[in-house]
Amino acid sequence: MERSKQKQMNQNENETEAPINGHFDGRAKVPGWSAGGAAGTPSTVPSSSVMESWREERTRSLEDNEMSLPSIAAAYTTILRGLGEDPQRQGLLKTPWRAATAMQFFTKGYQEKIIDVLNDAIFDEDHDEMVIVKDIDMFSMCEHHLVPIFGRVHIGYLPNKRVLGLSKLARIVEIYSRRLQVQERLTKQIAVAITEALQPAGVGVVIEATHMCMVMRGVQKMNSKTVTSTMLGVFREDPKTRDEFLSLIRS
Amino acid sequence: MEYQKAAELNGLCNGKIVTEYLCRNGFSELTVDTKKVAVQHKHETSRKEAEDESRLPALEAAYSTILRGLGENTDRQGLLKTPLRAAKAMQFLTKGYHETIYDILNDAIFDEDHEELVIVKDIDMFSLCEHHLVPFFGKVHIGYLPSKKVVGLSKLARIVEIYSRRLQVQERLTKQIAMAISEALQPVGVAVVIEAAHMCMVMRGVQKMNSRTVTSAMLGAFREDPKAREEFLALTKSAQ
Repeated sequence: MERSKQKQMNQNENETEAPINGHFDGRAKVPGWSAGGAAGTPSTVPSSSVMESWREERTRSLEDNEMSLPSIAAAYTTILRGLGEDPQRQGLLKTPWRAATAMQFFTKGYQEKIIDVLNDAIFDEDHDEMVIVKDIDMFSMCEHHLVPIFGRVHIGYLPNKRVLGLSKLARIVEIYSRRLQVQERLTKQIAVAITEALQPAGVGVVIEATHMCMVMRGVQKMNSKTVTSTMLGVFREDPKTRDEFLSLIRS
Repeated sequence: MEYQKAAELNGLCNGKIVTEYLCRNGFSELTVDTKKVAVQHKHETSRKEAEDESRLPALEAAYSTILRGLGENTDRQGLLKTPLRAAKAMQFLTKGYHETIYDILNDAIFDEDHEELVIVKDIDMFSLCEHHLVPFFGKVHIGYLPSKKVVGLSKLARIVEIYSRRLQVQERLTKQIAMAISEALQPVGVAVVIEAAHMCMVMRGVQKMNSRTVTSAMLGAFREDPKAREEFLALTKSAQ
């Protein structure tokens, strides 16, 4: 039922819209939720297959990594030369390879699928009180400047008879943050993934991060932090629930 | 040895030979030898700003290759101008190659009858690890014992900027800052302490979030006299 509804919604949407960042930038479709009605259906092939965002296609494999390493390393050598450095000096000899491997690590979220991470760790538990995992360290890359973003993620959800293994919340954060990201989208992707995996009564995600692109360059404000949040379901509708969540993550 | 030709290692390599640093083991000679100072600084080559512009297309192309190699779609809206932005960002983060000590220090050295410790601490520093091209950042504390010549305080921070906005290794950065001040002022002693977090250790690899790397360079009186060193370290140890 859910899927046919999603199919209908998907056909109404603009089919030429390409998936962003491996995830179709839509909202979660959970029966019974009013706000944010459009289906979130990413796929690397926009018009054909309709898949829930958390079952998305893997966009990169380990073999892909190995194959593209030489070209990325060559690009880094060009960059070193373009900056006026000498790629042959001792400290820089293997830097292109190290930098390329590092960059692949920083974008390893493209190699993983939510479904792999979550499939086993959803349990039926008669619990309907808020569950919060807070202070999850998060490291991402700004997609505009290719410079790190780091901060903390706080996740809370109200289970609806199904709970998730706690480390899986952190793993969801890892998958989506180890990509070229925009903080707003990251927050939403995490919330939508949890929603679609568990169908909880509500999900709240708050991210507080420092953007090196603002600290190291540009406007150079050392102490600035960017805070984004996504509240879905009961967290969006009921202010008391939201308050409880926000005060618990603050303590 | 790693530290021997510090300037050459990390200055520009445009075919010009950088005069060799005084790479002897004892540094007291540095404070005495005045003639080599000006020569040293003049030979540091600088990357001209016009050169930056002309190199931008090559850097952009390289970044496009990287994005594609990572499996991203370079035509999506968020990434359309990313190669250009990333290239400019990288040039900014390595703008230390533009500047020479000679330019910024020439005017701000004053004769002042002051022989007590002068400290500028908590100077925010941002640099790039030359091994992984990933940032490391932290604070620099500089202290020196003037010998009749003091330097404008912001110039100490500018020296930090010049040397940190390059592809660096923290040990070398500390030493370069200390040597630059030594050679410009010929003070009785210079002390530089850097405490930094390395994203290459925090974001990847061993992934230790709270680790900090501390390096120091003590020259002249700070190396020989333990009390001077103690005073410096005590004064820079704020509530951390």
